[in-house]
Amino acid sequence: MLELIFIIPALTGILTFFLPRAMGRMVITGLGVLHLGFTGIICFQGLPALWPDYFQTTPEGNLVLLVTSFLYLMVAFYTVSYMAETEMHNEPVFSACLLLFLAAMGMAAVTDHIIVLWIAIEATTLMSAPLIFLHRSKEALEATWKYVLICSVGIALALLGVFFTLMAIKSSDSNTSMTFQNLLKNATGVEPIWLKAGFIFTLIGYGTKMGLAPMHTWLPDAHSEAPSPVSALLSGALLNCAFLGILKTHGLLTSAGIQWYSSQLLVWFGLFSILIAAVFMMQQDNYKRLLAYSSIENMGVIAFGIGIGGLAAYGALLHLIHHALLKSSLFLSSGNMLLGFGSKKIRETGRMPRYMPRTFTAFMSGFAGISGFPPFGIFLSEMLIVFGALQQQAYLQTAVFLIGLALVFAGAAKAVIRISFGNFTGELLVPEKWRMVIPIYLLIATSVLLTIYLPQGIHEAISMAVKYQGVALTMGGYIHG
Amino acid sequence: MLHLSDISLVLILLSVLMALGSSRIQELIRIMAFQGVLVSLVPFLLERVHTASQLDILFLLLFIGIKGVVMPGLLWFASQRVSAKMELEPIIGYHASILTGLVMMVIAAFISHKMQVASEGLHPLLLPAAFTTIAAGLFLLVARHKALTQATGYLILENGIYLAGSVLAREAHTQFVVEFGILLDILVGIMVMGIIVHRISRSFDDADTMFLQELKG
Repeated sequence: MLELIFIIPALTGILTFFLPRAMGRMVITGLGVLHLGFTGIICFQGLPALWPDYFQTTPEGNLVLLVTSFLYLMVAFYTVSYMAETEMHNEPVFSACLLLFLAAMGMAAVTDHIIVLWIAIEATTLMSAPLIFLHRSKEALEATWKYVLICSVGIALALLGVFFTLMAIKSSDSNTSMTFQNLLKNATGVEPIWLKAGFIFTLIGYGTKMGLAPMHTWLPDAHSEAPSPVSALLSGALLNCAFLGILKTHGLLTSAGIQWYSSQLLVWFGLFSILIAAVFMMQQDNYKRLLAYSSIENMGVIAFGIGIGGLAAYGALLHLIHHALLKSSLFLSSGNMLLGFGSKKIRETGRMPRYMPRTFTAFMSGFAGISGFPPFGIFLSEMLIVFGALQQQAYLQTAVFLIGLALVFAGAAKAVIRISFGNFTGELLVPEKWRMVIPIYLLIATSVLLTIYLPQGIHEAISMAVKYQGVALTMGGYIHG
Repeated sequence: MLHLSDISLVLILLSVLMALGSSRIQELIRIMAFQGVLVSLVPFLLERVHTASQLDILFLLLFIGIKGVVMPGLLWFASQRVSAKMELEPIIGYHASILTGLVMMVIAAFISHKMQVASEGLHPLLLPAAFTTIAAGLFLLVARHKALTQATGYLILENGIYLAGSVLAREAHTQFVVEFGILLDILVGIMVMGIIVHRISRSFDDADTMFLQELKG
């Protein structure tokens, strides 16, 4: 019963609408534990589906599911403490939408059906919209409207892309199930023009959701106005779900033998995203927006890696895991900072080692990790991407890629130093608490752990997802066959 | 010989032009409802009319109900609570919009002609009508600044995509579940949009997206 992974959260979510507040808080953490356990069974033991025409585990889906589930659990722990500190309108709606959001993401991860995937991704937009609107300020209203409208239109175009893709593939059997794995197996012929058009619309559509420039405009607004735990989930889990759609369609083009086309598009969209993020990070005065632009940059890195292919694609999926862990840790740290300083402006923060040493440690480690310092995983993944690009002799692209990363680092470092050591003169509103720091430490520790030791199962899933058979090294010196 | 499907497709094209030229929000919603009914009818008229089973007819009625009644009804309900019911100063004027619509049709016909070489056996008007509707929906999204008009633009865009998807109808007889899922998503989307429109009009006294320009950079 693979489908339970989204049915249970969905039903619980609907139920939570009617539960009292205290119980709602218990439900969201309790379900997180359950969800992670169930995900473990799906990923490492396998579970048959009730409707195999629509739902099916895939290596890339399993990776996303694993990341989503772990992240959700950490965020749920954090959220419970966060809710105790901050005033929240309509808490049952929040808890319910959080669970429905989890359900939609789970559905996106376990489906291989081309249209059901679309349905799930659109559902993630709708279920997360009320979460962004939680604080009910005018800014939150603006962010929510932009989020819903831009993402809905984007995903509508992705649906057009899906239809074009289906039209491109001529099948002798009209009742064949429309899963990505089956589509080409039963195909009698492929129309390259339609398939290319399908990929463009899919890339624009899901790319909007994933935050690729120039379709990224909703992302900084939504991430900065949403409550911090929600920003962590949006950035760490939601963007990956949208990426699944692009990755799978890219797989179709690869099987049809025209991957040069989708690769080129992915590479240049990725590079453009990195550069756009770098430009906006230079002048950023809001630390949550800073983190949001960093997400755009990292999505660009992933798109770039997948576009290059081979070793770089392996690196891209590794990057996806580590970005999710580290970026959500950063967003949770920013939640502590927002509670403490009462402002999202960089110039109204400072003196973190003195006022909030524990959050400071977490924030600095997260920043070091996301910038690609060892011992964090981004170091490995970005290195693999660069090596992969050099192997393919994409020298110009690699140069632009490295320049982009350097610019991002320069912009982010300036801001982070300002945030940490600036001149903060006021009083701390809410002192930091252990229970709001531990989930952050756990996220960072997991990233370090996965850098030192990558479980065989995850390694195999990544290799199968990008069809790359080679050695993957971790910093502990392990070499897997 | 003139078929019902020809008439429907021509009416869809006409409704697109009317939508581009209408200044009142409620009139726009009415046009959209009309278009929604036609769009749900087309795949049925094209492929299933001779072999219709009871299930086909049931789903046809369901789709017409959602696209023609429920979705416009939700927007209508939201429009009742919004004070300004007219788009007084559109970003692009109405005459210019209609002219743009005509240009879109020409371009859509040209693109479809190019692409139809690849796919035979299609109704000659289907793709042009679909592309024009999609383009018009996108146009309304950027050329108007009332939140409700933008939501209507989104629905017109969806109508166009649905029309493009109906090319697939002849192959996929068993895909009702999936089609229904898509429709359900759009329905919930419209509900969410309606709620936000309501909030915008409460916070700013008018559901105009011109007020939504605080977040930048």
